[in-house]
Amino acid sequence: MTPSRVPASYQPLRQFKNRVATGLITAGGIAVLLAILAIGVFLFWETLPLLALDKTFAFDKLSPLVWGTLKAALAAMLFALPIALGAAMYSALFMSARLRSRIKPTLEMMEAMPGVVVGFIAGLVLAPWVERNLASTLVLLVWLPISAGLAGVLWHMASSHWHRRLPFSWAGLWLVPWLVGMVALAVWLTPLLEQLFLGGDLRRWLEQRWGMDYATRNALIVGIAMGFAVIPSIYSLAEDALADVPLSMMEGAQALGASRWQALWKVALPAAGPGIFSAVMIGMGRAVGETMIVLMASGNTALLSASPFEGMRSMASAIAIELPEASPGGFTYHHLILAALVLFLFTFLVNTLAEAVRLRMRRRYHKAGHY
Amino acid sequence: MSRLFAAAPRHRLDKLWPWLCAASVALSLLMLSALLTLLLVRGLGHFWPATLEEITLRSGSVVAGQAIRETPLPQEAGVERLYFKGNRDVDGVSWHWVDIDDITSRTTPHDLIRLERAPWGSFIGRLAAVETDQQSLHGHEAWDYLNNALTLPANQRPPGQLLLVTAQGETLRQPLDSVSQALAPNAMSWWQKTHTWGTNVWQFLSEGPRAANTSGGVWPAIFGTVLMVILMSVIVTPFGVLAAIYLNEIAHQNRLTRLVRIGVRNLAGVPSIVYGVFGLGVFVYGIGGTLDSWFFSDTLPSPTFGTGGLLWASLTLALLTLPVVIVATEEGLARIPDAQREGAVALGATRLEMLTRIVLPMATPAMLTGVILAIARAAGEVAPLMLVGVAKLAPQMPVDGEFPYVHLERKFMHLGYHLFDTAFHGEDVQAAMPLVYATALLLVVIILVLNLTAIFLRHYFRRQRGSEC
Repeated sequence: MTPSRVPASYQPLRQFKNRVATGLITAGGIAVLLAILAIGVFLFWETLPLLALDKTFAFDKLSPLVWGTLKAALAAMLFALPIALGAAMYSALFMSARLRSRIKPTLEMMEAMPGVVVGFIAGLVLAPWVERNLASTLVLLVWLPISAGLAGVLWHMASSHWHRRLPFSWAGLWLVPWLVGMVALAVWLTPLLEQLFLGGDLRRWLEQRWGMDYATRNALIVGIAMGFAVIPSIYSLAEDALADVPLSMMEGAQALGASRWQALWKVALPAAGPGIFSAVMIGMGRAVGETMIVLMASGNTALLSASPFEGMRSMASAIAIELPEASPGGFTYHHLILAALVLFLFTFLVNTLAEAVRLRMRRRYHKAGHY
Repeated sequence: MSRLFAAAPRHRLDKLWPWLCAASVALSLLMLSALLTLLLVRGLGHFWPATLEEITLRSGSVVAGQAIRETPLPQEAGVERLYFKGNRDVDGVSWHWVDIDDITSRTTPHDLIRLERAPWGSFIGRLAAVETDQQSLHGHEAWDYLNNALTLPANQRPPGQLLLVTAQGETLRQPLDSVSQALAPNAMSWWQKTHTWGTNVWQFLSEGPRAANTSGGVWPAIFGTVLMVILMSVIVTPFGVLAAIYLNEIAHQNRLTRLVRIGVRNLAGVPSIVYGVFGLGVFVYGIGGTLDSWFFSDTLPSPTFGTGGLLWASLTLALLTLPVVIVATEEGLARIPDAQREGAVALGATRLEMLTRIVLPMATPAMLTGVILAIARAAGEVAPLMLVGVAKLAPQMPVDGEFPYVHLERKFMHLGYHLFDTAFHGEDVQAAMPLVYATALLLVVIILVLNLTAIFLRHYFRRQRGSEC
């Protein structure tokens, strides 16, 4: 053993310091972890008084909120899932590497967009516009995918000169102006169609024909706005999962004669399935707990209706509105804490499930040694 | 199922699917850029001195104001245009819808002026005269005198009154010291307008809100947000780093630590409102209520710490961002090769020395990234703050000259909540909209800059490390 440069008389002091510091870090670390744990304990503790009351009463009051939460989350997922997964597939497997290194951080930056800004745009800009142009909006939902397909047909018909100038690996970028044009076309044409077939006003037609009320701030708006907010988190995780699939698997499939899409559909997707599942779960967790967007874009009416044109009140927004006014210890207070507990448990379970699935998948591919 | 489709069409469909995927990327980019453009144009455009119009209607009445937007009437009945005409003290409303077909003449006279006044907001009309104790000025002299007076702070201006005439011909008197800005936008050159635009942006950033949040600036909200975020990062950094070091360096790596790690990671996905509930129940009602009964019992029942405030908001957000810091720091610690640690210990270092001299310096960039990400997340969170301590309009700033200078128990203003409140609970939402856009833009810019800093730092340090290894 080489002699230490520190005089021997310092040794006990060093050891002592080391022991104290280790003890402090341990105590601090455990304290922080316990503080985090305290959230769950607190929520449980504060809902206990509800047990003393009539249970059905509490659940009756909770059910419209649960319904509203699920409705909002479902609407958001319906909007976000196709876009996020499509974008993930394209950017993991088709996009040029240079473009991908720019687009991915940009889309992930979307995640940082504060909910209050998205909610404000949805509630005060998007909602009145959609109310005036309901038919255009609904047409757009169908027309945009069709126009994407149309772009594909045109591209395949075009000469190879165009293929070189507008390569498919950059389509994510050059389709933007095309989509702008298609949106403009739809917004310009739809009122004419509406005039022709529905007597000029879709909303009145809906009300007369189907008895559907239209609220300015409704599930459609919430779906679009919250969909926008959850797209980046689903996209980012799903893209990671797809990019983690060993290249050799795709290449093997293609060598056996599969087209690129078949290789993606039959090989990469099943292989990345768990990762994509966890991405969807995490997106669901975000959609369920998002407060400000639902608060600002939904009208906050505690209704039990399945209509996409009516509002809802979610658990998170009910807490945000009612809890500051509820007197501590009262029924409303405990009731809202029950709502918070439900949110906590739901998101925690969903995230744990997603994380477990993701870790398992990652371990599998790392074991397979994919290079 | 696949038997139903002949081989050829199936193959053709296969060629179309990727296009839908590509369009998803394009659509996401489109939505993002549309949102940012909207915020930029509306948020910054508001500060540009807009042209004032004077229109004569078929009924003979004259309206002077700024054209805002046009909306088609139902049943093809023409188009309506919305004018902002100010003068709320004269006829109670500051907005005027005009049917375009009713307009007989539309001019932009150079002598139309726009004043910003303390109690009643905007005035749009003409300046007839300035009356002081000694003299009465008219025309250009009056305008120059007014502009000179406005360069002084309100309490140092010479006493005097403005004689104003609205477009309809009513006259009113306005004390000189209640005016904060006077513009004649139609007579301004492009350069003067740019200058005014700059001044307006600066005022927006540096002044407090006026006229029920419909004009003025957001300085108290910026200040409150920054102060809260600083307090939060002071709390969250040591605790987050401590927990990460414990988890990664000291605790035995077994099934339990793995579970704890997953648990911590998942807490980042728990909705922020749940943290708000925890903050309200534990910090505000629990700890705050206890503190009140111990130290501030003379002021009870009005609470001191037993209500939302700066301290509780910072603590709640610190708890909310704790997982972010822990996860980021742990990632940094895990990337340090074990050889470094073993080398240090082999040379005779104790664990503390190994941590402070070798491991922590190497993990600093990761910690920094974590803290910046935590700040970016906290700056945009509004929901928990609604429960633990923001105010519509805080009468007192949380920092002032009174002992103890920083008042942790006070409520504070926050950019995000300010946006929500002005947009949804304001008296005149229409008038407040431009400011709401500007606030939203400011918030987005702050958060984007913070996030970009984190990305840049991570990239930079990773590259630097890469050259070392």
